[in-house]
Amino acid sequence: MIFLYIALPLAVAAVLPLLGKASKKVLPDLLGNATLAILLFVALSGVKNFWGGFGNPIVERLGWFGETVNLQVTLDGFSQFMLLTVQLVSLAVGLFSVSYMDHYGSKANYYALLLVMVAGMNGLLLSADLFNVYIFLEVAAVASYALVAYGLEHDELEASFKYLMLSVVASAAILIAIAVLFGMTGGLSFAAVAEGLRSLPAKGVTAICAALFLMGFGLKAALVPFHAWLPDAHPSAPAPISAILSGLLIKVSGVYALARIFFNVFGLTPALSQVLLWLGAISVVVAAFLALGQKDMKRMLAYSSVSQVGYVILGVGLGTPLGIAGGLFHLLNHALAKGLLFLTSGSVQQATGTRNLDEMGGLAKRMPVTAGASLVGSLSIAGVPPLGGFWSKLLIIVALVQAGEGALAVIAVLASVLTLWYYLILQRKAFFGQLHERWRAVREAPFWMAAATVVLALLVIGVGILFSAVLKAWVAPAADVLTKGF
Amino acid sequence: MILQITLLVGLVLFSVLAILAKDLIKSAICLAVSSLLLGVVFFRLGAPYAGVFEISVVAGLITVLFILTIALTKAEGDVRESKLARIAFPLFFVVFALIDALVMKGLLEKIPLLEAAPEAGSFSDVLWRERTFDLVGQLAVILAGVFAVLALFRKRDNHD
Repeated sequence: MIFLYIALPLAVAAVLPLLGKASKKVLPDLLGNATLAILLFVALSGVKNFWGGFGNPIVERLGWFGETVNLQVTLDGFSQFMLLTVQLVSLAVGLFSVSYMDHYGSKANYYALLLVMVAGMNGLLLSADLFNVYIFLEVAAVASYALVAYGLEHDELEASFKYLMLSVVASAAILIAIAVLFGMTGGLSFAAVAEGLRSLPAKGVTAICAALFLMGFGLKAALVPFHAWLPDAHPSAPAPISAILSGLLIKVSGVYALARIFFNVFGLTPALSQVLLWLGAISVVVAAFLALGQKDMKRMLAYSSVSQVGYVILGVGLGTPLGIAGGLFHLLNHALAKGLLFLTSGSVQQATGTRNLDEMGGLAKRMPVTAGASLVGSLSIAGVPPLGGFWSKLLIIVALVQAGEGALAVIAVLASVLTLWYYLILQRKAFFGQLHERWRAVREAPFWMAAATVVLALLVIGVGILFSAVLKAWVAPAADVLTKGF
Repeated sequence: MILQITLLVGLVLFSVLAILAKDLIKSAICLAVSSLLLGVVFFRLGAPYAGVFEISVVAGLITVLFILTIALTKAEGDVRESKLARIAFPLFFVVFALIDALVMKGLLEKIPLLEAAPEAGSFSDVLWRERTFDLVGQLAVILAGVFAVLALFRKRDNHD
């Protein structure tokens, strides 16, 4: 059953391009979204396994026609939390693509790549082995390079190439660290490496490996100063892909992998915790200032992603149970809200043909659903109660104060004001004010696009109102895995 | 020892040439030579499977694919690139070599030597019984690569 997360999207992706010859639009739409819906159902039904925060990891071993092979997937509270987030946003993205991807052509191929990317992320989340993590990281990454360049325009190809080059550097750093750890401990599974490291008097080498992982996963998560690729790659991609890259991929292949390895393999030391905290704080502040100056709507959102991932790292890097819970809760809130915002930016771009905020204005009159959904997402990320983003930022700030990191707590509060500021600029320039003469004929987004954004907006509101239940059922089991360490 | 050092120096030299060569064909050939040398190093370190794969796939098959592609698409041999890249690479290389010379020896001494059992069981056994999950991942990487090529080289008739 757990293996379905990987096998189903891969199997459907493998046949989609062939079926796409028979039916160019309907069949790819149907199969792609049905697959994502089934995966969401599987993920939802798995929540009960870890309800309340306790439950041992579920290890599923598969054979090959009676032969024993080492096909093993491991599901614990942290993977379950991430899996559900991934399937939720992916399904919204899939539904949005039904209308949005029409004019790009070759839909079967698009859904195939999307499903391979989802399979890659799921595989990474279910691995308990360093080399498996690396391979599935690459699966998701290779699919994402193609998806960023999907429009085939000059900008998109350039952004994809830049993304590819920096991502390769990240992969190389990660692979070197894995090779050194394998050489030192003779094992690759998390448990074996953690066990090996404990009995080895090789602190220096371990520190270098940790630094390499930090650089590699920091690049994947686009933390400042490793963020250069993201503001190009995420705006250039088609809107649904921007949503999945910013909402999910940087978190799965950056934050999740980083947290998993630092907490469950190395064990979080005070020094490592300080490094993470300051990396997070610098990302929060620098990217917030950079976002303020942007005129391109999607570029502003991309910088905002860098800043918000900083908050996640700030919470998780603290290492206290409350900090970890806050960080992970913010990861969920940001995934939903940023997915939503990128989708609405896609609706706006398709309706008006521009991403330049200065050219927009008053669009709420013509696109009320999109404007409403976008407002909900903006307010959540900016931390306005009672939406989810408020609670997660509050948890992070309270955790920082409790841990005696007053300076960082002040930085987090001030940066939150900056966040509210640039999101208000975005809302005012795009949706409020006088309707520009040029946009008289603009109409609301097509049904599936509007539906996907409304669903995500309702989720953002729901998570905010029911935050204590969400924390208990969904976030606490994940935070537990990290708190427990290795 | 001298043979080993010669092989490694050759490996670095041809890798650098592969990056710096302006003609794509020369670049591909330098890459093939460097991976041939790497294959020999693998053999000498007692990893025959890795050596065979390195030489047959990387030095052989991939070079053929590169040269075929270059021959089929070539309009002009030289690659134009910014001056920055030509300065940045040697600089990066020198820095890397310096760090390598200063740090690596001390680092390697600290790594405890494991018992030499590099090829436990036959190659297919290791791949099929120990690393089955990797195979699934590799299958997915290949799928992703194929779809990426299909997507990036599709006809753009539908796209406005």
